Amino acid sequence: MPVPVFDVREVTFRYHRVMALDNLSLAIVPGQRVALLGANGSGKSTLLRILDGLAFPEKGSITFCGEVLTEERLQDSEFTFPFRRRVGLVFQNPDVQLFSPTVFDEVAFGPLQLQWPREKVRAKVEEMLEVMKITHLKDRSPHHLSTGEKKRVTLASVLVLDPEVLLLDEPTAALDPKSASQMIDFLIGLRGGAKTVITSTHDLDIVEDIADQCFVFQTGRVVAAGTPTEILRQTSMLEQTNLVHTHRHVHATGATHSHPHRHPNKH
Amino acid sequence: MYIPDGYLSPSTCAVLYGAAAPFWYTALQRVKKSLSTRLVPLLSVMAALSFVVMMFNLPLPGGTTGHAVGVAIATIILGPWASILAISIALSIQALFFGDGGITTLGANCFNMAIVGSLVAYAVYRLAAGRAALTSSRRVVAAALAGYTAINASAFCAAVEFGIQPLFFKDPSGAPLYAPYPLSIAIPAMMIGHLTFAGLAELVLSAGVVAYFQRTNPSLLKLTAPGNLAADEEIAGAESQSMWRTVRPLGIGLALLLVLTPLGILAAGTAWGEWSARDFTNLQAREKMALASQHAVPPVQPPLGLQRLSTLWTAPFPQYAPSFVRRPAVGYALSAMFGSGAIILASLITGSLATRARDKRDELS
Amino acid sequence: MNFLERTLAGFLSAMEHALDAEDLAKTHGLLQRLDPRIKVIGILTLIIGAATAHKLWVISAVFAIALILAASSRVSPLLLAKRVWIPVLLFTGIIALPAPFVIPGRVVWRLPGLGWPLTAQGLLSAGYLVTRVETASTLSVLLILSTPWTHVLKALRVLRVPVVLVVILGMAYRYIFLLLESACDMLESRRSRMVGELKGPDRRRLAAASVGVLMSKTMQLSGDVYSAMLARGFRGEVYLRNDFHTASLDWIMLAVFAALAAGALYYGR
Repeated sequence: MPVPVFDVREVTFRYHRVMALDNLSLAIVPGQRVALLGANGSGKSTLLRILDGLAFPEKGSITFCGEVLTEERLQDSEFTFPFRRRVGLVFQNPDVQLFSPTVFDEVAFGPLQLQWPREKVRAKVEEMLEVMKITHLKDRSPHHLSTGEKKRVTLASVLVLDPEVLLLDEPTAALDPKSASQMIDFLIGLRGGAKTVITSTHDLDIVEDIADQCFVFQTGRVVAAGTPTEILRQTSMLEQTNLVHTHRHVHATGATHSHPHRHPNKH
Repeated sequence: MYIPDGYLSPSTCAVLYGAAAPFWYTALQRVKKSLSTRLVPLLSVMAALSFVVMMFNLPLPGGTTGHAVGVAIATIILGPWASILAISIALSIQALFFGDGGITTLGANCFNMAIVGSLVAYAVYRLAAGRAALTSSRRVVAAALAGYTAINASAFCAAVEFGIQPLFFKDPSGAPLYAPYPLSIAIPAMMIGHLTFAGLAELVLSAGVVAYFQRTNPSLLKLTAPGNLAADEEIAGAESQSMWRTVRPLGIGLALLLVLTPLGILAAGTAWGEWSARDFTNLQAREKMALASQHAVPPVQPPLGLQRLSTLWTAPFPQYAPSFVRRPAVGYALSAMFGSGAIILASLITGSLATRARDKRDELS
Repeated sequence: MNFLERTLAGFLSAMEHALDAEDLAKTHGLLQRLDPRIKVIGILTLIIGAATAHKLWVISAVFAIALILAASSRVSPLLLAKRVWIPVLLFTGIIALPAPFVIPGRVVWRLPGLGWPLTAQGLLSAGYLVTRVETASTLSVLLILSTPWTHVLKALRVLRVPVVLVVILGMAYRYIFLLLESACDMLESRRSRMVGELKGPDRRRLAAASVGVLMSKTMQLSGDVYSAMLARGFRGEVYLRNDFHTASLDWIMLAVFAALAAGALYYGR
């Protein structure tokens, strides 16, 4: 049994007196592609921040490859230097992650902080821009980009460091269908690689493509775990956790009825 | 008042950059210490906010609208030093990236609005709010007062900067080279607009936002309220250990001003109103009085009240020069030093008495 | 809703101005082709030259230089008139208007009818003020219109501005647009929900609440940006890239700027 990449043990985290994570435990194996499923506010984003050492649980522990992540440990630059390179987090709101004057500067930020030599920085950044097909945007300022372009830049700025673990917070949220499907293609493309990918989403349609293992969240707890196929079969559980809903609708034939279902594009 | 390039002479601009520098330096040191790695994102976003607030059109009583700087709000929520930096950065962006407001006069604008504004707002707010609860209406009033006073203090500084231009900077024919109006016109002109519209705008904004936060998120007001342990410790620590260190840049500024006071002698004639009873019967003095009063003829006899009171107090330095000092410039400077020294001594004594009283009260409570 | 609409109009025009600047900065004029560091220094020295001059003709000469620079950089005089010349005339012009009547000196004319005297010194001082402000403003707007703001930012390093301040300036500028956008959204949604006129105190409460909401969002934003920076390895030090290359044109123009500024300082003293 390989050392889990992340071992979360009975973690409790409160956010302004609201319980975000409630005695939560789960483990993630290296190379796994994991989906954290849950409605908004179920604790997925909070967990991702804790996994990236940006927030620390008030109870319980979390280890990364055997190392316990505490506030003190994250202030030790000998630990954080490699940690920041090995784990990359793409935030849900791209604007908070695009704080540099130009796209090129943004992608170069990580490598510059990790003090790579200048030539290497320039070469790596240009390569990454090519891969993400955003070379034409390299001198643009972030406030003029479309949401899809912004998300591609944030991905590029994290992937340029070639992390072993990729954490993605709602990567397809707020994207138009075309950009969303491009994003999904990209996520599918990570299959078979050495990376561990943890994606949080409430979109059940993409789960089968992007993940081998799912955890369903509700009010800060894991209420179900399993492969996508197993999870998708549990319709009553999915209804309870607000991942699907029931309402009356009209079919083309004119008959109306109600049953639990998902809408491929949220309305 | 955002002073554009061309209103102030390069030497005035340089002096004001020099006056601003120690405050910027102190502010950066203190803010860096309290924020450490958060400095960059917090200050950037606060400066951006300050910029946007300056662009807000605010509704004023009477149906008009006006703009405010938001200096009191920034000071109350961020503390005076961070406020100095955030507003200075917003002003710099306005000048450098939007071409609004002067580049040579950036130091002057920062000094007037960011530095003087923040410090005055802080002093007035702390004094007026006292130890009132975070959600009390006294704090709203204190904020309104702080905003109003701060913006008028800034306007006054700008008025003085304008008013001294024609005094020192004239071309050979006597035409003023920069802001053309003397103090007697500049001060009333600036202050009328600010005591009314600009002051009102600042008052409305400061009171309104503090009231809003009292309803929604009172903890934001903690930083500048006593009872906040961190702020109190900081103040106590500064007062006892590093008081001199933190006050040093201000001391340098004050020293600079003291050295420059003899320049007051270059002002022609006497300051309006500063006449003794004797001057009314002296021909030369009467000429000077007329000049200073826009050619109004002074009364032949000194006013009765002036005559009665003029013998009441003979200042230790009559005519600003004790007999043993021959050169008036030296006497002027000495008087300035003595005057400021007396004021500083008085404030130190009151300050330490107040601290001692507060410490005693804290011990008992 | 006077104040809502005026505020919105102000926000929109600021965003437009920034866009105009970015467009113009991409055309191929003289100023656009220069290394931004040389441009910043050059234009700054010209502004100082105009500010120091004690002679009206020297200030006018610097203004003429600004016009030549504008023409060779494809900046239309109409744009300059709209953005600089007319606003300055309206503001500084009105301030300078009383000067010929108020400043003491040699009387050269009397206003017919009212008999108010105009002095030569007063006219001169009005002239000094208006031409100085017009010249300096024209030069700074030329700098902005011909240089992408990101280049202006990095050029400040040449003037020994500390790295941390350059980074803060850049980040603040970038987030101004985010705040402007969300402020616009907020104000527009409030405006669309307005039915009828609000009374004075309610208007003021609305304005204060708008600013308050913006402030709260800003606090949230700063925390998130901080986390995002930490996540990519930020530890308090910032590192910038330097990617400017000077060509021979730059050195020639630097010499030209230096000569013009020296001339202004010499003849203007």
